[in-house]
Amino acid sequence: MSGSNHQYAFFLGCIAPNRYPGIEAAAVRTSKNVGIDLLPLKGASCCPAPGAFGSIDLYVWYAMAARNLVLAEQMKMDIALICNGCYKSIWEVNHKLKHNDELRDGVNEVLKEIDMEYKGTADVWHLAELYYDPKIVGVKKLAESVRRPLTGSKVAVHYGCHLMKPAKERHFGNTETPMWMEELVAALGAEPVQYRNKMQCCGAGGGVRGYDLAHALDITNEKLTNMEEVGVDAVTEVCPFCQLQFDRGQLEIKEKFGTEHRIPVLHYNELLGLAQGMSPDELALDLHAVDVEPFLKKIL
Amino acid sequence: MAVKKDYKDQKLAEKLRDRKYYVSESNPEFTKDVEKLGQTAAHMCYQCGTCTGSCPSAPRSSYRIRLFMRKAVLGLEEEALTDPDLWLCTTCYSCTDRCPRDLAPTDAIMAMRNLAFRRDIVPRNFLQTVQLIYKTGHGVPNNDANRAARKRLGLEEEPETTHKYPEYLPGIRKILDHYRLKEHADRILAEGEKP
Amino acid sequence: MAEVKKNEEPRIGVFVCHCGTNIAGSIDVEAVKEYAKTLPNVIVADDYQYMCSTPGQNKIAEAIKEQNLTGIVVAACSPRLHEPTFRNATKTGGLNPFRFEMANIREQNSWVHMHQPEEATAKAKDAVRIAVAKASLLEDLVPKSVPVEKTAMVVGGGVGGMQAALDLANAGIKTYLVEKSPTIGGRMSQLDKTFPTLDCSQCILTPKMVDVYRNETIELLTYTEVEAVEGYIGNFDVTLRKKARGVLTPKEAEARGIVGGGCTGCGDCANVCPVIKPNPFELGMAPRKAIYIYHPQVSPLIYTVDFDACVKCGLCVESCGDKKAVDLEATDEFMTVKIGTIILALGYDIFPIEKKLEWGYKNYDNVITSLEFERLICASGPTGGHLVRPSDGETPKRVAFVLCAGSRDSTGVGKPYCSRFCCMYSLKHAHQIIEKIPGAVPYIFYMDIRSFGKQYEEFYYRIQNEGAKFIRGRVASITEDPVTKNLHVNAEDTLLGRPVDMEVDMVVLAAAIQPTAETEKTRRLFGVSCSQDGWLLEAHPKLNPCGTTTAGVYLAGVCQGPKDIPDTVAQAEGAASAASIPIHRGQVELEPYFAQCIEEKCAGCGLCVNQCPYSALSLVEKNGRTVMQVTEAKCKGCGTCGGFCPGGAIWMQHFATPQIVAQIDAFLLGGEE
Repeated sequence: MSGSNHQYAFFLGCIAPNRYPGIEAAAVRTSKNVGIDLLPLKGASCCPAPGAFGSIDLYVWYAMAARNLVLAEQMKMDIALICNGCYKSIWEVNHKLKHNDELRDGVNEVLKEIDMEYKGTADVWHLAELYYDPKIVGVKKLAESVRRPLTGSKVAVHYGCHLMKPAKERHFGNTETPMWMEELVAALGAEPVQYRNKMQCCGAGGGVRGYDLAHALDITNEKLTNMEEVGVDAVTEVCPFCQLQFDRGQLEIKEKFGTEHRIPVLHYNELLGLAQGMSPDELALDLHAVDVEPFLKKIL
Repeated sequence: MAVKKDYKDQKLAEKLRDRKYYVSESNPEFTKDVEKLGQTAAHMCYQCGTCTGSCPSAPRSSYRIRLFMRKAVLGLEEEALTDPDLWLCTTCYSCTDRCPRDLAPTDAIMAMRNLAFRRDIVPRNFLQTVQLIYKTGHGVPNNDANRAARKRLGLEEEPETTHKYPEYLPGIRKILDHYRLKEHADRILAEGEKP
Repeated sequence: MAEVKKNEEPRIGVFVCHCGTNIAGSIDVEAVKEYAKTLPNVIVADDYQYMCSTPGQNKIAEAIKEQNLTGIVVAACSPRLHEPTFRNATKTGGLNPFRFEMANIREQNSWVHMHQPEEATAKAKDAVRIAVAKASLLEDLVPKSVPVEKTAMVVGGGVGGMQAALDLANAGIKTYLVEKSPTIGGRMSQLDKTFPTLDCSQCILTPKMVDVYRNETIELLTYTEVEAVEGYIGNFDVTLRKKARGVLTPKEAEARGIVGGGCTGCGDCANVCPVIKPNPFELGMAPRKAIYIYHPQVSPLIYTVDFDACVKCGLCVESCGDKKAVDLEATDEFMTVKIGTIILALGYDIFPIEKKLEWGYKNYDNVITSLEFERLICASGPTGGHLVRPSDGETPKRVAFVLCAGSRDSTGVGKPYCSRFCCMYSLKHAHQIIEKIPGAVPYIFYMDIRSFGKQYEEFYYRIQNEGAKFIRGRVASITEDPVTKNLHVNAEDTLLGRPVDMEVDMVVLAAAIQPTAETEKTRRLFGVSCSQDGWLLEAHPKLNPCGTTTAGVYLAGVCQGPKDIPDTVAQAEGAASAASIPIHRGQVELEPYFAQCIEEKCAGCGLCVNQCPYSALSLVEKNGRTVMQVTEAKCKGCGTCGGFCPGGAIWMQHFATPQIVAQIDAFLLGGEE
């Protein structure tokens, strides 16, 4: 199978490998089942976090992201990643450096100090867009890889922010009423549900989670309340930082605000893993802050 | 120039201080810096309010992205950079997505944050992230509980990043040192700890 | 062919203008004058503050007489401004006016090189040297007069087109009024009331419609489009496509020998027609049949068959009976007419505001456009004037108006310009809601209120006084409550400094306007340019807003740029006045820049004939030889044939090869060391 598989250097980021390793394990295995090989990107670092790092010094952000890109260029491979935040750093810096000579020259002057040179030969993809693209995987092939359809479950989709916005600097089209991630969810047999203001931010980004946790949680709480209004069994996203904010965030909301939500939070790769027959143990779902059991009961 | 009130009662002088905007308060260099760093023509803003109308932080705080754009345009450097609300933007990019003048208010905020940092104005959590990255290459580094989980999943304890290959750390540190980021972060953190 | 005084020594006079400080501020005029004196053939050189003034012009006339000059050079502004002035001065001095050459040392020199005076002066000297070289070779030329057909055409039957046609007709000029839809009336027919007077739109329009219909000097051609245009000012050949209406007028019936026949507008046909389609006049909110009229007050009152929808069942033919007005075998007909001058009054369309996804148009039932609102609030509209929510037919109490929807938008999705009348009609709409629905509150979300016209600011005062609520903030997004279908309008009240989430029953988008879909095709037929914003380009925005750079074609109404009814009618009257001048004069002068065949050199190969974009050339027999001949009236002097002729047998008057070569040589070979 691997001969004709699409191969990508797998950029891990931080939160998936270091807090939700189930996402990493799921990504590798589930992707293989649909014809994508995710190969190790040796020596990668934090993307670096666009909100936390970019706020301090944009030039360091460009240089650090460029270093990660060069690692892939050296592998002669495109990058696939699983996090909206990493997408902003890795894809956007790649895009900027390809089109801005002054910026690129500036970055290469710094990279020269560590014997690296950014050449602009690699492309960057979010795994979710590879799943959606019929030329690579496509909704049909995804559905065909399903062994355990998630029938009977209602799943809310959280698109996040940095993947698709701003629309004029991305290629994902409609940022007001997109439906493509719902299609990815439906392919697994689950029922995607619409809820009020689905495109709103989770609240974690821009360093706000670290700067003013209560403020960030209030934003998250609004989203969770909107989801509860229509009744969901889980919320899914394609960004481990959003995952952290929704998952651990629910505990923090209970502690700080006294409000209790009990909505399991699953990265799309975890959902896909379950749908392809991986066990909750194989996905380390026990690491989640919010108990995933109620959702598992619906689908197992 | 703002009228100085040398009243014997300091509190009254403060209560009654001159609030008028005077052109002398404006620093045109500040506007230019924000526009250059943010790569957006902030001076074209016509204050329609679409940005604030789209902002998730506005309904739950005093943060107003429209006013930050105004302050950038008017060159009100001091007011903008010392405002604690500057750090409430989640960079969701909704404002940039909808701005009818095709501006990027989010990038203007990032530019102002960069400029604030240059004046040592920055919340501690950002500096802590810098230190973690300097030390481990990760903003959110591995820990023992996670290592155990990774092992359970059949993954290696350390991911294929700088965690497994610490030989890449000197390279990263060289980049950060080129910009003297750790030096500044350490200094600002230390100053903050002074009694 | 024109005379070339070859035996004559050229005697050139050069005049350098200061233009106040416009030229003298960057260029050393004195030095340019002194330099001119050193040039070959220059007999006299002078400078003056304002050459275009009377004393300035007199200098030219006097110099010609005193110095027996053969050519004049004026170094000043662009010929677009004062070429006619100085040609006249040359003529006053007794010389043929085409023995004048202008060097532009302002727009193309002093104004763009303000900070480089030395280089600017050197460049001005070059320009003068080049002009003198050409002036030394200029010849006497005579403009050609062509007769002007005493007929006008107005394309577009809205209020602008109708007004223009009425003015032309009342001035005694036979006028064709061509309208693409089955009736005249245009947008004004669709409006309920008009600001600021709150006149009933149709009430003030129908008298004009009747006037047009009854006017014997106007030939009204509805359901007709322009197919092709040939010719030039005074002599246009316009081919019209009379689309197949499928219904005969009484006149047409008579011509076919049907006694007492033709459409009477009784509507029996529509009653039996089985095909139902959306009525575009009602913006799809009401039905019409395959055989239809838009509304009871159409002019002419003749039904039309939509052949794309018609199933040819023939029931209409049956019900029409003896009148025999229905002809289901009708096909498009063509007619070509000779026209002297033309006015384009093509109107506008609404921008497809669903493209601005954040406002949910076409996604949410209760978000409508302003034009849809007009039809709903209009007593003769689809709901009899009752404003109802599309989702449930309920009467809305809270209505939000979104101003600048799609206008003043630099994102590339909407339009960058202001659509001008939306502030005013939104105020009007607010008034109508307050008046018709007790307890209703209109909320106007605005960036500015542009109430610029006569009594407009007073109207704004009135509406605010009546209780309309104003929130200064552009609407960021609109979301829908899936159960109630109410809308949530999200914006910031910038004056209060607080974000707003307003729940309303209905939203009206004051959508941007744009040229109609047919405007692009039509303007190209007439050779009219459009400006960067897509609207048709006027000859000069201030000094010639009704004309175009295409002689004989004029503009009226919104097709030239967004404007309200008063401005549309005013511009229509202006266009009619301008369009009537060549017709009343009876002839028009064409500038003599024509190509001329040098018959001794012409081989009669005919290759040039197909090159000409204006079909102005032909081959003729002359003295036993085949040579080329120019139809001067058609020739625009573009130079295509002149540059192409392999034998050099074409002489471009006023831009002849020896003249151009002399300019090039003067530039490259002359000049100071």
